[in-house]
Amino acid sequence: MTDDNGQAVVQLTAVRKEYGESAALDGVSLEIHAGEAVAVMGPSGSGKSTLLSMVAGLDRPTSGSVVVHGDDLGKLDEKGLALFRRRRIGMIFQFFNLLDDLSALDNVALAAQLTGTSAAHARKRALELFDELGIAGRRNTYPSQLSGGERQRVAVARALMNRPAILLADEPTGALDTRAGEQVMDLLLDLNQIGQTLLLVTHDQQLATRCASRVIDFVDGQIAGERSLERTA
Amino acid sequence: MSAVWPVARAAVRRRRVQTVVIGVVVLLSTTMIVVALGLLAASSAPFDRAYAKQSGSQLTASYDRSKVTDAQLTEAARSAAAVGGPFPQATLELAQPQMMGSLVTVGRADPGGSVDRLNVWKGRWADKPGEIVLNRNPTESSGRGTPQLNGTVTANGQTLTIVGFAYSVSQSADAWVTPEQLNALHPTSTQMLYRFTHAATNAELTAGQKAVTAGLPSNALIGTQSYLALRAMAAGEPNTFVPFLMVFGWLGLAVAVLIVANVVSGAVVAGFKHIGVLKALGFTPTQVMTVYLGMVSIPAVVGCAGGVALGNILATSLLTRAFENYGAGGTGVPAWVDVVTLFGVPALVALSALVPALRARSLSAAQAISAGSAPRAGRGLRVQRWLSGTRLPRSVSLGLGLPFARPGRTALTLAAVVLGVTSVTLAVGLGKSLTTYQTAASRAGAVDLTIFAGPNGSGPEGPNAPPGAKLTDAEDEAVLRSAPGVTSVAAMADLEMRLAGTQTDLRVSFYRGDFDQIGYRILAGRWFDGPGQVVVSERFLKQSGVAVGDTITLQSKGKSVRAQIVGKAMYNSGEEVLSNWATLALIAPDLRANIYDINVKPGTDLDAVVKAVQAKDSGLQEADGQDAGTFVAVVLATVVLLTLMLGTVAALGVFNTVILNTRERRRDLGMLKSIGMTPAQVTLMVVTSMIALGALGGLLGIPVGIIAHRLVVPAMANGAQIELPDFMLDVYPAGLLALLVLAGILISAAGAYFPARTAARTTIAEVLHNE
Repeated sequence: MTDDNGQAVVQLTAVRKEYGESAALDGVSLEIHAGEAVAVMGPSGSGKSTLLSMVAGLDRPTSGSVVVHGDDLGKLDEKGLALFRRRRIGMIFQFFNLLDDLSALDNVALAAQLTGTSAAHARKRALELFDELGIAGRRNTYPSQLSGGERQRVAVARALMNRPAILLADEPTGALDTRAGEQVMDLLLDLNQIGQTLLLVTHDQQLATRCASRVIDFVDGQIAGERSLERTA
Repeated sequence: MSAVWPVARAAVRRRRVQTVVIGVVVLLSTTMIVVALGLLAASSAPFDRAYAKQSGSQLTASYDRSKVTDAQLTEAARSAAAVGGPFPQATLELAQPQMMGSLVTVGRADPGGSVDRLNVWKGRWADKPGEIVLNRNPTESSGRGTPQLNGTVTANGQTLTIVGFAYSVSQSADAWVTPEQLNALHPTSTQMLYRFTHAATNAELTAGQKAVTAGLPSNALIGTQSYLALRAMAAGEPNTFVPFLMVFGWLGLAVAVLIVANVVSGAVVAGFKHIGVLKALGFTPTQVMTVYLGMVSIPAVVGCAGGVALGNILATSLLTRAFENYGAGGTGVPAWVDVVTLFGVPALVALSALVPALRARSLSAAQAISAGSAPRAGRGLRVQRWLSGTRLPRSVSLGLGLPFARPGRTALTLAAVVLGVTSVTLAVGLGKSLTTYQTAASRAGAVDLTIFAGPNGSGPEGPNAPPGAKLTDAEDEAVLRSAPGVTSVAAMADLEMRLAGTQTDLRVSFYRGDFDQIGYRILAGRWFDGPGQVVVSERFLKQSGVAVGDTITLQSKGKSVRAQIVGKAMYNSGEEVLSNWATLALIAPDLRANIYDINVKPGTDLDAVVKAVQAKDSGLQEADGQDAGTFVAVVLATVVLLTLMLGTVAALGVFNTVILNTRERRRDLGMLKSIGMTPAQVTLMVVTSMIALGALGGLLGIPVGIIAHRLVVPAMANGAQIELPDFMLDVYPAGLLALLVLAGILISAAGAYFPARTAARTTIAEVLHNE
């Protein structure tokens, strides 16, 4: 799959990332195209989360290049990376990472406000997402008062706020019970089906099978295999 | 308790930055406390020790020999606890060029006795005519030009051999000879030295004086010297430092306590899991508490020990400087100050850590392990909600909301900022009051032009001496008055004189003309308007134990003049007296003015005035104007130094809070960066969270600082034996107050910036994946 211009949305070329003497990623090359849903799987310490950090511009490779939506992340300074994350990336974490001091609505609106959008406009857009994700009734609730599934939906809403080129999810169902996990899986699948490019990092075979069209297996910082999937949903 | 020590030591190592902050803050505040307490405790101790050792004279009196006999004086002195004298006394006019002036010389058969036991520290006592013993402090330098043992002194036509040097802490005389020798020198007065049963206050001393002079002929008493005045003079300099050092020291200690409470609270909150693990391992609640107390006690003890050492060095230096003239060696901080500080400061620090440590003690293991380190949700939510809807940039509105998440920590930090702003406010006010006083007292800028007419007899002589005036005094004054633009001329002649009954050398400045135009401010009484009148300073009054309205006797060149103190003017010196030409006529009618103080119309070219004057009398020279004194400069430098120290301490309080906040919020900061917050925005958010506190701290700290200024400045003035008019306390105009609010913002921004930068550089990936 390619994006509208036939270009890959994500392109990693010979990426190596070292932490001290050990290499978390060792010569990884990978392309993800627009509309794809890619799951990265592997045992703990295999380098999957490091891969996600590289694509999100949260960390820099020791060598090799990471190009996302035309931006060569190695050439961007800290501010450039921040602006890149703001405009191109939406991230979902295992532990939600919501701000406890802000209501669910304000947590979501925050992402737009950082781009300079006014509070009123940001809240309006956030409310639309709350409606779409089925959590409109919980907009004024604080994270500590939400269930795990609701928190992750809020996190997804925040990730979608700035219409990202790619949605990155790091073990999005890892901290959820089965039912809440399934709800989140459905949500991700729906998003992908309407064209949202998705990169998932997960241990969860069911999540990968259900949401991803391609699975990349990681072992010891290297791509050990790659397979295309027929979605079960 | 063996398990406690390694855990506490590990906690210290883990919190290196906070350990250093506590150590530095305790060191700085302990230093200030030791210096202040040391000066307070020792401010008169060297003088008192020397006085006790010599059984110093509490009242030294000079009587007119023509009006009272020795027998009458002895009889009248019965009420005193101890008496020295009667001793014949004469003022010897010296002939040597290297020893100008006069010597108050007393005839004493021996240096001992029950009062004023002299310390003959070099040579021997004079035991036959032709010999003289000079009064000199053993610590005084004896360089080239000073009299040497076996040298000679020529006075009143007689040559006397110096056979010894003695020191009188009572300053009872400049020199001593045998009574026979003194009688040959024609004594004019009789000296009596008294000690009283009660002489702790001026009132008791006055009562003693009244008792020993009762029944004596009127006007027999020429003059007296009180030991309280000498004592006040000795303690003047350290007593000026004590009030503001004490205030700064306590402010520093208060900030230290706040910071320690904050650090330990933060450590307890951040270490909930750690506490739970310790308890799960089998630590008793008391052991857990001890770990947290030990964590702050280690840097506090080290900082305190360093502060005591540094404080001793500074205080000893100040005290040695202040007391070097009193022959009292071993001037230093009393041991009790060191002991109290060494135990008291760490105890106070530990006490401030006790409440959070008790909290750690009381937590159950399960509760502690399961608790998170982030602030409890639900605090300050309304504020956050309101801020999120404002038009402020989101990084700013988020920053403004942060202090509400931890109200306790915010309150402690705010208190540290308040104390910092209080220090700055006090220091700025102190500086303004001192410089205003110094400008007024030194009359800097009050005179446009000073013209020197040459030495009048007491100045330098020889080939390098400045040229003298060519015209007469009256002609020169006329020349000056007729110069273009001149509006006032005050002519002045000065004369070295002696205050009768004391060993105090005075410079008496005799004025004529427009002396009320040259910057002296009358604080009490009035200017002189007839012969036999003087105006003096507050310091003169305090050091001489007299008041406006009293009469003093001034002596010079064998002549005496009785003068009434008609006014008190604002100037610094205790050794300078102002008088008028009519009084000079009683002592030295032929003396001409050597200085002319001139004021001109605005816009007048001073060079043109000098040129015009010198065209008519080439001997007239332009002289330098008055400059500010060094003591005020020393005090101001100390104040600036202490303010910087306390400002730094307060900023360290903010620094510590920001470190605690950003560590607790690492996950939030990582998340904010992951959704696109730039490093600059993170820095702005964190700094903003403290700037709001800084502004509030400014508003609260300013009134406290003004109150401290109102208390400290009069206390300093009292210590320095000067009087400050009320207007010198009104030194806070509205513009300055607005600027002082900025001090709080500056302290907060300075303290927050570096940890904010560090937070902005947090590696997001690492933070977000570690839960």
